[in-house]
Amino acid sequence: MKVIIAGAGSVGRYMAGQLQDSGHAVTLIDNDASIVANGQATRTPVGVTWFLGDACEVATLRSIGTADADIVAAVTGDDEDNLVVSLLSKQEFAVPRVLARVNNPKNEWMFTDMWGVDVSVSTPHLLTALVEEAVTVGSFVRLLSLEGGKARLAEVTLAAGSPAITKEITQLGLPRESTVVAVLREGHVVVPRGDTVLHEGDEVLVLVTGGVEDDVRRALVG
Amino acid sequence: MVRLGRKQRDSRQPQPVPEIVGTRISDAQPRARVCVIGKVTRMTARPTSGQPALAVSISDGTGTVTAVWTGRREIGGITLGRRVAIEGVPVKRADHLEFTNPGYTLLPR
Amino acid sequence: MHVIVVGCGRVGSEVALSLASTDHSVVVIDRRLEAFRRLGEGFTGTTMVGVGFDRDVLTGAGVTPDCAVAAVTSGDNSNILIARVARETFGVQHVVARIYDPRRAEIYERLGIATVATVAWTSARVLRHLLASDTTPDWIDPTAKFTIVERRVAAGAAGMSIAELEASTSGRVAVLGRFGQASIPAPAMLLQEDDVVHVVIASDNAASLDSALHLAGETH
Repeated sequence: MKVIIAGAGSVGRYMAGQLQDSGHAVTLIDNDASIVANGQATRTPVGVTWFLGDACEVATLRSIGTADADIVAAVTGDDEDNLVVSLLSKQEFAVPRVLARVNNPKNEWMFTDMWGVDVSVSTPHLLTALVEEAVTVGSFVRLLSLEGGKARLAEVTLAAGSPAITKEITQLGLPRESTVVAVLREGHVVVPRGDTVLHEGDEVLVLVTGGVEDDVRRALVG
Repeated sequence: MVRLGRKQRDSRQPQPVPEIVGTRISDAQPRARVCVIGKVTRMTARPTSGQPALAVSISDGTGTVTAVWTGRREIGGITLGRRVAIEGVPVKRADHLEFTNPGYTLLPR
Repeated sequence: MHVIVVGCGRVGSEVALSLASTDHSVVVIDRRLEAFRRLGEGFTGTTMVGVGFDRDVLTGAGVTPDCAVAAVTSGDNSNILIARVARETFGVQHVVARIYDPRRAEIYERLGIATVATVAWTSARVLRHLLASDTTPDWIDPTAKFTIVERRVAAGAAGMSIAELEASTSGRVAVLGRFGQASIPAPAMLLQEDDVVHVVIASDNAASLDSALHLAGETH
């Protein structure tokens, strides 16, 4: 896949290296001449193509091949830049998948299809969610937002009083707009089937679309 | 926005009725800049994430495309049956092409 | 009318001072407190330190659909964010954004946001965009019989042809601006919401232009 990453800070460079290693063709673009010069001189990450330029300009995006990119990741440290890069990528180049980084959680509400964003990643939000997940048993924790907010991945660790314990998944009464994606049990990933029986301590990963989070919470938490 | 037909490109002459050149919807390709001309056949409010959006279906007899304007509830002159030219770079959806915030030109019936 | 000016640079401060000295209530927002020094001692409006596309900040600045918002910070991206939030989240009709890059302006005009490019940049132009009631003409002929005026087409006039507009006002549309591009329009072309028309018209007739363009209801 052809991936363009806007923003060559530590996040962008890390992503570039990982993706290039996995066999994708990665382009890194940044507006900072010294960062780009350094990257080109040291040839790190290996195999990545570097560009110096402003990814918020249509002409620049065109010249780096956005017209046939499969993915654009806007991961600069500036939310405004990330939103504009996303909008231009989606609107002017019809990039199939646009991913954007949220720096300030207060701006997270804008990172949706309104600005051409398919997947938004908020590091502070993720960290909070991971901490919550680590310390709370029996709570409904939102992990990730997909498709511009239309789908959400959430996690519940089943506590002792959960109504889901000893029930099969089909007996949970989960609403139609949700599905159990995985059950993590004692270090294993259990691929859920309709007759999978849930136990106390299971970490249930649920994908929720539409406004049915409350129903899912009731089924799993009580 | 308005692209003139061949015989009208001489800019020394005052230009009479401008002729917009469009591609047949069935020939339009995803991710390539294209202009299509058709009639508005459907209009839907498509709010997402708490923000309004307007989705308009345009057909020209060879196919249908959707134009989505984000953050708008209506656009002056865009009504059912209106002839309109849409210009932009569409994405490929399941069974049709979709434009986001395209340029548009209202056309006489 | 209530006006929110985001960005207290040279133009922002000029616009704010000009508005405050007439009958408008003005709030100026800037990220930096020092920027407000440009407003001087006697400024009768309000200042707020904050980010102009933050919904809480705009709410605190008294944003309503009837107010006007000028996004005139030094950053194109900030200005576009501010303009879209004002327009799409708060329903503000009178929004103008300063865009340095004319190529970007074309794209943003498609989102229905009035942009003013740096080259033509004066506080007067911003004011003209903000205040629909401002009838300052582009040009007046030496005999004062004819003027060229600039108007932004409202949604209610969309679909009217240039010929119809010219006939009903006995004027001529000299230039049509649409999506950041300008042209000399043909008579059969149809007006669209957010088009900018520069109309040559008899000075006596200028009022008929506003009613023809359905701008009659927009007095502030």
